[in-house]
Amino acid sequence: MAEENGSNLQQFVDGIIKNNPVLVQLLGMCPTLAVTNSVDNALVMGAAVIFVLVMSNMVTSLFRHLIQPHVRILVFTLTIATFVTIADLVLKAYVFEVSKKLGPFVPLIIVNCIIIARAEVVASRSGLLRSLADALGCGLGFTLALTLLGLVREVLGAGSITLPGWRILLCDPKVFEPHAWVIMIMPPGAFLTLGVVIGIITQIRMRSARGGA
Amino acid sequence: MSKFVAESWLILLLGLVFAVLLAGAQTSLQPTIRVNQQKALNEAVGTVVPGTVKTEILPVTGYDREVFRCLDGDGKLIGWAIDAAGMGFADKIRAVIGLSADAETITGLKVIENVETPGLGNKVAAEPRSESDKVWADQYQGLSAGMETTVVKRTPIKGKNEVQAVTGATISSKAVADLANKAIQRVRPELKKQDRPATAESR
Repeated sequence: MAEENGSNLQQFVDGIIKNNPVLVQLLGMCPTLAVTNSVDNALVMGAAVIFVLVMSNMVTSLFRHLIQPHVRILVFTLTIATFVTIADLVLKAYVFEVSKKLGPFVPLIIVNCIIIARAEVVASRSGLLRSLADALGCGLGFTLALTLLGLVREVLGAGSITLPGWRILLCDPKVFEPHAWVIMIMPPGAFLTLGVVIGIITQIRMRSARGGA
Repeated sequence: MSKFVAESWLILLLGLVFAVLLAGAQTSLQPTIRVNQQKALNEAVGTVVPGTVKTEILPVTGYDREVFRCLDGDGKLIGWAIDAAGMGFADKIRAVIGLSADAETITGLKVIENVETPGLGNKVAAEPRSESDKVWADQYQGLSAGMETTVVKRTPIKGKNEVQAVTGATISSKAVADLANKAIQRVRPELKKQDRPATAESR
């Protein structure tokens, strides 16, 4: 993964589009498949990942000249684990219902490879601003991808859009339920949706690459 | 020694700072989390003993969790709710079990804490999606509290106190049945003692 010397803004935008961690780099598949059965799950998971990414990139970037190369993974993991635990506590305190639904997937952010990849590839060799721009970009890219999947799955499978705090019903449940694609909110629906979305995104990327050349 | 310090001081320092951060987060957020859990527990009690308006804690010696006396609006005893916990597939499972006022019938069961495998084991804690939706724990409604419930893989036979395991998650299903059996066995004799004077009064 070669890092170009673009601006911080470019780094931010790349994280969302060109290097989207989920739809282009195919990293962080575990939460992508597991918690996208509703929009609120996806949003809250995204917010937690943004927080951990920003904190981990910040700490790594600040200490990048002091971290001994052979123990760097230890430092990354220590940092990530700390902020994941804090994020977990905050979610349990302020969005209890969603945090119950996310269950073990919040603590599992510790092993989300997007975060360790950004620490290794960007934060450990870039200044603070660039690392922050990168964390925000990748975090937003992750959140947008998850929300997109959550939106497709929840609308088709449950006929609603759930945001933390309230639920929008797109049509009367009595009318919708017999026609619901229940499979979309079950695990197979995650694979189906992810496959179709990645297919479309790849098609668009290939088109624009050909057009640009 | 100096090589050890030179290579590890940053980790030791970060470890210390992070420990302080975590301790701070834990201390400041724990009260709010407690309130949330208490609210969830009250809601669960209302689900397993429908009609509960007020609860009182019944101290049961030798039982380390709470047992609630469930009262309706007039203060009449309508059932019992037992907070119970046991080891699941991944970690502890916590559930609330509802019993009728005479402690003979299970009126409901609700898993309130679990980290079972999503999509498989966590179905034991499934929430109904609509009012008519049946979930796994509904099988407990109407079972006898006087004998053990057993987990079976086939369709349960009526009157034999059986619940059907979640497909692919027999361990989680057995864990719930187990913790419920143990809690009922431990607490029920106490409830039977409590029940007599109360019913005598109401008659």
